[in-house]
Amino acid sequence: MTQRPWIAHYPDGVDAVLAEPPFANLPALLAAASTEYADTIAFTQCMPNGMNGSLTYSKVDELSSDFAAYLREVVGLSQGDRVAVQMPNCLAYPVVAFGILKAGCVLVNTNPLYTASEMVHQFSDSGAKALVIIDMFADRLPDVLAKTSIETVVTVHIAEFFPPIIAGVIRAVQKVWSRSLPKITVDHTAFQSALAAGREKRNDEAAAGYLAGIGADSLAALQYTGGTTGVSKGAMLSHGNLVSNTLQMISMSGTFIRPGKEIVLTALPLYHIFAFTVNLLGFYHSGARNILIPTPRPPSNLKRAFENYKVTWLTGVNTLFNALMIERWFVDSPPRHLRASAAGGMALHESVAQRWREVTGTPIVEGYGLTESSPVLTFNPLGGTAKDGTVGIPVPSTDVRCVDDAGKPVAVGEPGELVAKGPQIMLGYWQRPDETKATIDDGWLRTGDIAEMDADGYFTLVDRKKDMILVSGFNVYPNEVEEQIGAVSGVLEVGVIGVPDDKSGESVRAFVVSTGPGSVTQDQILAHCREHLSAYKVPRSVTFVDELPKSPIGKILRRELRSIQIAATAGVPTAPSTRKDA
Amino acid sequence: MISLVLSVLEDVTVNEQDVVTPFEQNLLVGLVFVIMFGLGAGLTPRDFRLAIRRPWGLIIGFVTQFGIMPLLAYLLVIVFLFQLPREYAGPVALGALLMGCVPAGTTSNIFTYFSKGNLALSVIMTTNSTLWAILMTPLLLFFYGSQLFPADSELQIPITNIVITLAILLIPVVLGMFIRSKSANIGAVMELMGGFFGLFFIVFLMATWVPRNWALLTGTPWQTYVVAIGLGLFGILIAYLISRAIRLHPMNARTIALETGIQNGPLAIAIVLLTFSGNPDIGLILIVPALYSLFIVIVSTFVTFVFRRANLAAEQKIPSLL
Repeated sequence: MTQRPWIAHYPDGVDAVLAEPPFANLPALLAAASTEYADTIAFTQCMPNGMNGSLTYSKVDELSSDFAAYLREVVGLSQGDRVAVQMPNCLAYPVVAFGILKAGCVLVNTNPLYTASEMVHQFSDSGAKALVIIDMFADRLPDVLAKTSIETVVTVHIAEFFPPIIAGVIRAVQKVWSRSLPKITVDHTAFQSALAAGREKRNDEAAAGYLAGIGADSLAALQYTGGTTGVSKGAMLSHGNLVSNTLQMISMSGTFIRPGKEIVLTALPLYHIFAFTVNLLGFYHSGARNILIPTPRPPSNLKRAFENYKVTWLTGVNTLFNALMIERWFVDSPPRHLRASAAGGMALHESVAQRWREVTGTPIVEGYGLTESSPVLTFNPLGGTAKDGTVGIPVPSTDVRCVDDAGKPVAVGEPGELVAKGPQIMLGYWQRPDETKATIDDGWLRTGDIAEMDADGYFTLVDRKKDMILVSGFNVYPNEVEEQIGAVSGVLEVGVIGVPDDKSGESVRAFVVSTGPGSVTQDQILAHCREHLSAYKVPRSVTFVDELPKSPIGKILRRELRSIQIAATAGVPTAPSTRKDA
Repeated sequence: MISLVLSVLEDVTVNEQDVVTPFEQNLLVGLVFVIMFGLGAGLTPRDFRLAIRRPWGLIIGFVTQFGIMPLLAYLLVIVFLFQLPREYAGPVALGALLMGCVPAGTTSNIFTYFSKGNLALSVIMTTNSTLWAILMTPLLLFFYGSQLFPADSELQIPITNIVITLAILLIPVVLGMFIRSKSANIGAVMELMGGFFGLFFIVFLMATWVPRNWALLTGTPWQTYVVAIGLGLFGILIAYLISRAIRLHPMNARTIALETGIQNGPLAIAIVLLTFSGNPDIGLILIVPALYSLFIVIVSTFVTFVFRRANLAAEQKIPSLL
């Protein structure tokens, strides 16, 4: 058996080795698409009520050049300066992000829902000099700016580049009805003024200079992640990392991504690495039209987008696919033009995948990756054999293996920590050499995930190493238990954690959100588990809650569940409130 | 008692000009057009498919909307209004019956949202009842009308005119759908406007119509108030009790209750204005639709508070307005 059994399973036309990318850096990759698809619509932002605005490829190209000129000529930033971006999905995002890259600066994606202290940490850690922020959240700035090195603030509006009347209506609603436009008390420049100022100073010769010396190894983005230790740190993603990963991902999709023809629904936030690489970079490169959804929750916010656009591609996480399938409008009229869906970010439950195929009649495949790997490491080949429950095979030019604690590869079918090597692996953690050393060993990225590889080279994620529950010396992987509980009818969502136990060291505890009051009982869940799981894996108890803590992309946060659990045992009342402890 | 009412009525000369000025009339009809346009702008062919594939919402809505409300209006008229002299009670009863037979109003969606009901169900029910109204409203008016107003009585319901009016009012719905399919942006603006105008209509009534018709309102016998307020209140109550009795989810029960009780007041007023124009009794015919439109806001607000207190489990996530 070869070391790379997956090579035999690449679909026709997918090379095991990624050809040397023809793009020196990300702006080169973007420019190619901007020229080729100039008059095609690149981005459409769709509000929950259907109000929308669009930008063509040439317009995005032009506006982002304006913004690059603004950053370099007006603000006076230099190559390598960090610029933080904090906004939900909207038309301004690609203009800003591409502008920063064209300016030779470094993009620092920031979650717009961050609290002031989280903002301070991320801005000061990255040393960002400028911030582009959505006006809705700019009221946190007075507390934040003084503690960071940010000198320039640009504010964007949610309806930037919408037709003027529509933008006016949206602004009026925000102001009068939802009162979501706070007064901004810090010095700032409105996005349109910044663009105008940049346009005035723009010249092509200088623009070429912004990128002098920017190559594959140059830093493109600092993507913050909790990683395995929990402290938020910046993964240094280079131009080469992101260009490679974009091409690797496209290559694995085979003929399912038709250049210039796809319409992809981007409900996941672009500030998250999954949507950033796959939707923003990947589909832009492919000449697709990106439908940007500013707020994907509740899922009914996607109704208009599905009605008004012939969506051919959808990327999402298990939570999103699951949520859509309890929406009557979605199940009764599934998108007719959909070709394929890609899931990542968290384990795609087999029951969800199966139902998705039944409802939409289209394939859904799961991939796997981390912020530290730009993010795609493995993917189920759409044109080849997709194996349910696995995260697929490594993308081209990527080596993946499972190793034991000593770093030695384990046998086929045995669980071990997944480690990976390839052109998409980050340069390291920003200003944290020790953490970098602990994570990247001789080019191999240690993922902290336990996985198994089958004889064909398909990987199955067992669980996060740190989420593993040790019950009387036996390993219990929460994913496996969640998968079983998720299949019980009446269960909407489930999170499983380990809690300290006097007898067994740890015991399994499940937190369940039901589809409605009385739709499922603890006994039904436990009976199902006893039938399908070994006794030690069966939860000791089931707690019904109204909601599970989730990350911005909808990943269920077990870490938070654990702290809720600890607080609850200590008698401290915290959210989510316990509806009934059946 | 009867003589007292009559003397009051003599003092208050009710005619069309007093109750609704031509300006108000044009404005109201215009508003109703905008509201109906907004309703259409929120619809797609998919919604019709959905309604057909999931008929339970349609059936329940149909039964409560066209079963309970007209019957309730009829009973209220018999029990309360017909205590009063016929020359007063007749035209007022006609208005009350019309109020019971019109479809659900779009404001029910707003109250459903605030009372944590099932918004999607509410929208579907409003749509269904509006579309069915073109057939059911005239049919029900004919059925109950012939009970209340024998063939030889002076007052007759001009069924044909009402059908024509309803058909005319459906034009903006179809137009709204068409425009929405051409431009999602214009459609969304119209939908938003429709919602706002629904509320504006009430505010307008309160701000201009009430003070000017103060004498009329204070002179109106209590029975008329019972009918105007009771129609909404009892409608909500009965629909809720039935929904609970057949063991519907509380969220859906709340929705159906509000959906049933909240009628399309502006539509009823527009129908009166368009079909009884020139009729000397138009002022009396308008009383219940006007009072109903005013009080339903208060009743629904009250009910919403009760619903919110009764059920704290947040089942309906907050949908953003945009």
